[in-house]
Amino acid sequence: MRTYAPLDTPAVLKTILAEPSLARGVVHHATLPARSGEYAPLPDWLDPRIRDGLRLRGIERLYVHQAEALESIRAGRDVVVVTPTASGKTLCYAIPTLQAIADDPAARALYLFPTKALGQDQVAEFTELSRAAGLTISAATYDGDTPAPIRSAIRGAGQVVVTNPDMLHSAILPHHTKWFQLFEQLRIIVIDELHSYRGVFGSHVANVLRRLLRLCAHYGSRPIIVCCSATIGNPAELASALIGRPARLVDRNGAPSGERHVLLVDPPLLDASTGARGSALTLAQRWALPFLRAGRQTVVFGRSRTSVELLLTGLRESLRESYGPRSRVRGYRGGYLPTERRAIERGLRDGEVLGVVSTNALELGVDIGRLDAAILAGYPGSIAATWQQMGRAGRRGAASVAVLVASASPVDQYVIHHPEYLLANTPEEARVDPDNLHILLAHLRAATFELPFEPGEVFGPAPADDLLAFLAEEGHVRQAGDGRWYWSSENFPASEISLRSAAPENVVIIDTTPDRPRVLGEVDLFSAQVLVHERAIYIHESQQYYVDRLEWGEKKAYVHRVDVDHYTYANRAVTLKPLEVFAEGPVPGGRRVHGEVMVASLVTLFKKLKFVTDENVGWGPIDLPELELQTTAYWLTAEGAAGGWRRNELDVALMGAGRAIQTVASVVLMVDPRDLGLVTQVRSPHHEAPTIYLYEAVPGGIGLAERLFDRHAELISGATDLIVACDCDSGCPACTGPRLEPDVDAKALALRLLADLTEGRTVPGPPAEPPVALGDIAR
Amino acid sequence: MSDAALLARRLAAFRDRRDGDPADPRRAHEEIRAQERSGDLAERLAAAVDGEVVATDRGRVVRRVVPSVAVPLDRERLGRLPGWPAAGVPLVCLDTETTGLATAAGTVAFLVGVGRWHDDAFDQVQLLLPDHSDEPALLAALADVLPLDGWLVTYNGRGFDWPLLVARYRMDRRPAPQLAGHLDLLPFVRRVFRHRLEDARLRSVERGLLGIRRVGDVDGWEIPGRYLDFLRGGPADRLADVVRHNERDVASLAGLLGHVGATLADPDARTRTPAGDLVGLARVYRDARRHADALACLDAAFERARPDASDLAARRAHDALALERARTLRRLGRATEALAAWRGLVGAGGPFAGIALVEVAKALEHRWADPIGALEAVERACAIAERARSIGRPMPNLEADLAYRRRRLVARIARRRERPAVASTYRKARRVPALIARRPIPAGVA
Repeated sequence: MRTYAPLDTPAVLKTILAEPSLARGVVHHATLPARSGEYAPLPDWLDPRIRDGLRLRGIERLYVHQAEALESIRAGRDVVVVTPTASGKTLCYAIPTLQAIADDPAARALYLFPTKALGQDQVAEFTELSRAAGLTISAATYDGDTPAPIRSAIRGAGQVVVTNPDMLHSAILPHHTKWFQLFEQLRIIVIDELHSYRGVFGSHVANVLRRLLRLCAHYGSRPIIVCCSATIGNPAELASALIGRPARLVDRNGAPSGERHVLLVDPPLLDASTGARGSALTLAQRWALPFLRAGRQTVVFGRSRTSVELLLTGLRESLRESYGPRSRVRGYRGGYLPTERRAIERGLRDGEVLGVVSTNALELGVDIGRLDAAILAGYPGSIAATWQQMGRAGRRGAASVAVLVASASPVDQYVIHHPEYLLANTPEEARVDPDNLHILLAHLRAATFELPFEPGEVFGPAPADDLLAFLAEEGHVRQAGDGRWYWSSENFPASEISLRSAAPENVVIIDTTPDRPRVLGEVDLFSAQVLVHERAIYIHESQQYYVDRLEWGEKKAYVHRVDVDHYTYANRAVTLKPLEVFAEGPVPGGRRVHGEVMVASLVTLFKKLKFVTDENVGWGPIDLPELELQTTAYWLTAEGAAGGWRRNELDVALMGAGRAIQTVASVVLMVDPRDLGLVTQVRSPHHEAPTIYLYEAVPGGIGLAERLFDRHAELISGATDLIVACDCDSGCPACTGPRLEPDVDAKALALRLLADLTEGRTVPGPPAEPPVALGDIAR
Repeated sequence: MSDAALLARRLAAFRDRRDGDPADPRRAHEEIRAQERSGDLAERLAAAVDGEVVATDRGRVVRRVVPSVAVPLDRERLGRLPGWPAAGVPLVCLDTETTGLATAAGTVAFLVGVGRWHDDAFDQVQLLLPDHSDEPALLAALADVLPLDGWLVTYNGRGFDWPLLVARYRMDRRPAPQLAGHLDLLPFVRRVFRHRLEDARLRSVERGLLGIRRVGDVDGWEIPGRYLDFLRGGPADRLADVVRHNERDVASLAGLLGHVGATLADPDARTRTPAGDLVGLARVYRDARRHADALACLDAAFERARPDASDLAARRAHDALALERARTLRRLGRATEALAAWRGLVGAGGPFAGIALVEVAKALEHRWADPIGALEAVERACAIAERARSIGRPMPNLEADLAYRRRRLVARIARRRERPAVASTYRKARRVPALIARRPIPAGVA
């Protein structure tokens, strides 16, 4: 293919599908029809200056979702706006903010974005709009980069303060007396990219918002909260869990779109015995090239910074060989300079940049206009993120193409072979657990520091007195003569909390290569065990570092830059002990349980593996103390599984079924598979039965285990489907996990166990009195 | 299960596990606390610090009155120092003791010491917080003792004590008392006295300037712990030391004002003042753009500084003083004297000769329109810079400046030579600097 005649998007797709080597991989091809826009007039109550300003920027009318959000906010109701990428969500809160300030110049607004870069974009956009309306409104970002003299100006006079949750938590709330003008006059709080506040981060942010609203009440303001989210399964629920009050759902999308093709593509199976597949990166490049050559604007998403660089190099190389538009293909990811990123965004909007290869950095609300094709090299980890990325392709009047190229990973394989899962439009639900005790107590300390608690005052779901009494035992707070609870420690509690992790302690990684050592990053203790043990190769921004020294007591790892052909992999030995059962019930073949467990993790040795081939080229011992993690878990026992298992077969079956269940669980809950740990026991000492445990990798858990407990049947059937649908012969990393013994058919064994768990006899009775059937298994 | 019930259950489980651990130090700690928790906080505090409990409708506050001492001040003279309050303004020395170092919402000032003058008598009152809930009473009592038209005198109060108190008033949803002004002595001490103190802490100031040595003083880091301990039922008598510490701090503020009045504010007394102090004071005047006063200080210092040629450090200090004096002369527009002063420095040949030559070059080029003389000075400076580099002590800033200046002067001289005479005359007639150029260079200076 060496012709560069411009072609329209459907024609390019037709050419590709005419090529057998590419067409063969298409597992599913769906066509979503074009839809026309639904509009509403600008509301009557809108200030004429804002009306003129919008007109100046070419906005004569609103989409229905924008109009609905505006009316709702006008009526004083919190809203959560859920519409696809590039559907004009910003106006849903920018117009109400302008109106509030036009009505009363003393009014203030607070915008929260998950990252600094998004906040800075927002200020530029808002300022343009307010200028067009002839209103002089001071909007500014307040983040770690804001210089000190400007900070005090923003505190005193910033009408729209744009910040991120981390900054709100550590710099604004504890110093609220310096921000009293903001808190007294706060009318609107905007929480954009709501869907990114899930899991541990979301649970922290929910508590930060509890603290924020508590201070607003103290200063006598009651701001309206406007949330914006990408499409997720439970936006209203997530919003109310985060902000602690109900929010009205606005999800009737009024933005028009052209016809869209969605293709799911699987790389060819290379070896049925190992389950090895062709590379997703290579295949993604082959899909992207025809679009680029035909002059169609294309975005290619890679899953990591490294894969972005590999894709970019590959695409440029191919375009160079064939004299294609090579320099018009750019990379875009976290490590690039802001100015460079702004230039690429502008280039995409005006068409100067033809192709861009990006990490999920372009998934969030950065404005790059609409493109012709989106190629996803690997499943981004959630349906919501998949649609966000696919949504980058979608012109108003013309057809667009979105392609998901699966990798060989089990999650990818599951998703690609269940197209209904992706296309039936039931994205995952985002979960937070603001009442995780560790997280809640940490923020309760910070809240007490900020303002004493009245007796009976509610923080979260209930009056905080019991929790405060607990903190008082630790000596951080005390109840004074008037019954109020006061902070009574010299410490600054906000500094002890990192919103991005649940564990309070992190290991700091220090690069000693430059003259002045610099901090590379932080990892939590559990990850530190396997990532930065001594002599490990730690990879950061695709640069390798050798770990010289790990000071476990000081929580510091010293590394220096190296360039080697291998990486290291540390073996983690995990033991698990159930502590308490929260809920349990009989299921076919055994029991399901939700409870609390103690996980002990010991890392004793590491292997050196060559890149690409994964060939083992050496090993070494690791001398680190055992770590304990107290968390929640879901587990299932198989007392009722029919007898006749040999012990080693049962071991393989439990591991194989466990892997498959873990994969399905991570898909169902929209979490990274690493957020759920897997432990199997042929005969658990607690239940005296074969048991599969899935535990949460976060101290105390964030409610994932409970959801898994509720969806037990779905997990078992999903795991069965996953293994059955896999093309491999007798088990592979994509279904039952890496094969431990070559002669054992892990696939058949796991399916046999899952069949027992689907059809087996229900076991009655509590686990404390093990049923008689157990004897059979033990033999 | 409702969220609230689930949370209660989580807490119960967490507590069970913790209580099941006999090694947990908090348990033993709690038992001791329970025994100590007896008696009324305010009464115990008052008894321990020898104060009285004052009950108001906003809570109680413990008030301790310190016996009056005589600290005479020459307010007229102090008022002439730049940025200092005028003679008639009431002064309030203030120092706080707090529960932490962060000036954020959870840090409480539990002790505020205030000292005021009644004629020569310096009277101190200390306000103590018996319990967290009594803070409104303390804030009200403090507002009562701060005179509306008064100036606050503190040590690092601009960055710490006062913002912290303002935050406390805002927490209480009341406006903070208005101040007519705030004299923070820390920056003044840093500029004027730091050169002969080991650091700028108030304790070092006392030792170095006022000749006071504290015995049995409590360390600052211990103070929050002692108070928080007391609130939790611990002993009150450990706060007696804290109260004494605060009393001394406030007394030292007064003492410091007295010292400044006696040694610096009085021009006649300057003959006894260390030269370094005068140099510092000159800097304070300079920043207030009172160059004549600055020059007076520098002259006073200059007169008495006749260093012994063998004492290198003293010679360097002397040269630094001469440098500052020359700059001050230039700022005052006394160009001829300034040039003489620069040349004096060049003649002395000390470490500042290079800098002085640059100044000479600037003056000759711009003021006396003598680029050739300027270039000569630059060449001499270059030689000095070169020598410095050869002995391994390069002066990169000076070198860069000289290189630039030399290039410019060479170009200027070349332009002047090329230009025909007519054009040159025309130029001279048109441009004002040309008139200056005709001014004769003073004898003995060139």
